[in-house]
Amino acid sequence: MGTRILTVEDDERIRTAVKLALEDEGWIVDEADNGEDALELFSRNPTDVVLIDIMLPGIDGFEVCRSIRRTSDVPIVMVTARADTHDVVAGLEAGADDYLTKPFAPKELSARIRALLRRVRASDPGNTHLRFGDLELIPDEGVVTRGGQQVHLTKTEFRLLVELASSPGRVFSREVLLERVWGYGYFGDGRLVDVHVRRLRTKIEVDPANPRHVVTVRGLGYKLQP
Amino acid sequence: MRFRPRQLGLRARILIAFTLGTFVLSFLLSASTWGFTRQSQLNQREDLAIARFFGNAGIVRNRLLNVGAGVDVQQLLASLPASSPVLILRVDGETRPVNPGLRFTDQDLPVSLRTSVDEGSAAIMRYRVREEPVLALGMPLPAIDGEYFEIVSLVDVESSLSILAAYLIAASLATTAAGAALGWWASGRTLRPLTDVGRAAQAIAGGRLDTRLDGSDDPDLAALVSSFNEMGRALQERIERDARFASDVSHELRSPLMTLAASVEVLETRRDDLPERSRAALDLLSEDVRRFQALVADLLEISRFDAGAVQLDLEPVSAPEFIRQALRAATDRPVPVYVIGDPEELVVDLDKRRMARVIANLVDNADKYGGGVEGAGVRPVPGGVEIAVEDRGPGIPVEDRTRVFERFSRGGAAAGSRGIHSGVGLGLSLVAEHVRLHGGTVRVESRLDGETGARFVIELPPHDPALDDEELETSLDAPLVPRVGDDLAITAATDDAEAEAGVGPRAHGTLS
Repeated sequence: MGTRILTVEDDERIRTAVKLALEDEGWIVDEADNGEDALELFSRNPTDVVLIDIMLPGIDGFEVCRSIRRTSDVPIVMVTARADTHDVVAGLEAGADDYLTKPFAPKELSARIRALLRRVRASDPGNTHLRFGDLELIPDEGVVTRGGQQVHLTKTEFRLLVELASSPGRVFSREVLLERVWGYGYFGDGRLVDVHVRRLRTKIEVDPANPRHVVTVRGLGYKLQP
Repeated sequence: MRFRPRQLGLRARILIAFTLGTFVLSFLLSASTWGFTRQSQLNQREDLAIARFFGNAGIVRNRLLNVGAGVDVQQLLASLPASSPVLILRVDGETRPVNPGLRFTDQDLPVSLRTSVDEGSAAIMRYRVREEPVLALGMPLPAIDGEYFEIVSLVDVESSLSILAAYLIAASLATTAAGAALGWWASGRTLRPLTDVGRAAQAIAGGRLDTRLDGSDDPDLAALVSSFNEMGRALQERIERDARFASDVSHELRSPLMTLAASVEVLETRRDDLPERSRAALDLLSEDVRRFQALVADLLEISRFDAGAVQLDLEPVSAPEFIRQALRAATDRPVPVYVIGDPEELVVDLDKRRMARVIANLVDNADKYGGGVEGAGVRPVPGGVEIAVEDRGPGIPVEDRTRVFERFSRGGAAAGSRGIHSGVGLGLSLVAEHVRLHGGTVRVESRLDGETGARFVIELPPHDPALDDEELETSLDAPLVPRVGDDLAITAATDDAEAEAGVGPRAHGTLS
């Protein structure tokens, strides 16, 4: 079965044009013009990626994003008006994996979607179980446990953790993480990393304010404490 | 030219007025106090002396009349309560002064006093004997054919008066100093509202449009405060209305542009299936959609600069690495980058994605007017790092080198090289705005190697080590507070639907 994408956009013309462009990539596209319909469609159809415009009539994109996150780790791309507003951070904190600003080229969107759909690969096939204190990672199965309890991570959070776990103790710059996890180049938005690290901490750290596993290295980046 | 003395400041003038005023007042007061005191002291002294003088003169006359020549005149005079009594007796037609051997003798009597007493009338006179102020009194004593004089020293009066004068001068000086201090304080108080107004105006000019003065209970100031605040409010409203207009326009343009771009892309994937004429039309369409998109992005970015809503996300960046990446993102052609200097000298604080647009705009400009980018260079200069982009066009005449950075000035069009791309010249003005926001400068000059072509030079301040201490997540903890260019932040929350930055799509699109 092909990749299925749900686009939530209230402007019919944009929605249609984006659908046409995404269908050219060989993907199946579901459309919703408001948040309620989007959630309804999402619960009915197995969806691989969700594209949400922040500004929607009725319940807004943030809320749609949060509702989806309550039940699913599906990759979410949100569409914002501007790159340098609080919207981006708010959207990421609501659970989005990546963002685009309007007007974006559909090619860009498909590149983002492809990056999010990449499979997580274990950096070292021989090492299928990684252990850090109370934390255990099984990259091939996409499972993380803390103190024996499974922790639910989104695909992107998981990929970020696996990336950091590939060389425990090594400092990863934001650029490197952007490239490896999101497929961005030199000009990626470092806030993606920052918010995802923060989200990750709330899930895997005992005290997210004083992280023991995912540690900030001032001016340099992040590392996973072995 | 007419000479004009430098105008003194208001505060200095208030201070001078206060000082002069208290000086004149206190000295007038002191002088008159001294004058009156002196007069009354002397009068009092004179009255006392005169009363005693007449008493003494009576005693002397009576003694001499009653007792006759047998009396010891010296002893009599010495027993009198006067400082220097002098008795002159005419014996056998000869004058014979009698003096009890005190400080003053008959020699010290002024001639005019002697004369008037000789002529038969009592007299009184104030004068100085050997620098000492004295009062001399004299009266004829016809009953005994003699004259009686007294010389009274006034030195104690004088010394108490000079002590008083010294006190008064000191008091006047103290009062003047106090007046000056009061003037300083009062002028400060008076000018404080003006200083506040100045500071508020400066803040508003710097972009903090919501700056207002604190309300004042003072009826004299309340009018100023309220009209100033009213002005600020009107200004803010107007600027926000303009910004809102730009944001409304952007919102209106964004959606059709999005549809256009997506539809053109769908057509482009089927380009090979199209008949030749349709293909040519599609090429025109897609080219212009792209230009339209860039233009709208530039326009919106400019309007956001005008609204002061642009926030930088600075991070220390290696300039050579940055320029290589930015050039790679901006053009498919390989561009050589010449680097001079040590890596640590070439670190600058950049908002990478914004500065990438600067480079993209320079590349764009070179493509349109300068025959494409020929090379780029990075080197340390005094006060920062220089990033230069050179093209191989006809160059820009000296007289147009400032003008090219103005809006809609059409890049290098002045050189007459305007081709089919009569693009609107917003690109270079955005370059100037971005660089300015980074605290740098931009200029255009001739190529250093003597070839024809323009050389755009950006000078950026060196890396500020303070940025190193910043937590990575700072931008998240205070997402709405700009990290740099604080005074450029418009405080009224800008509408979400506002001007589209156009940073993300371009940078992402070309790199992913």
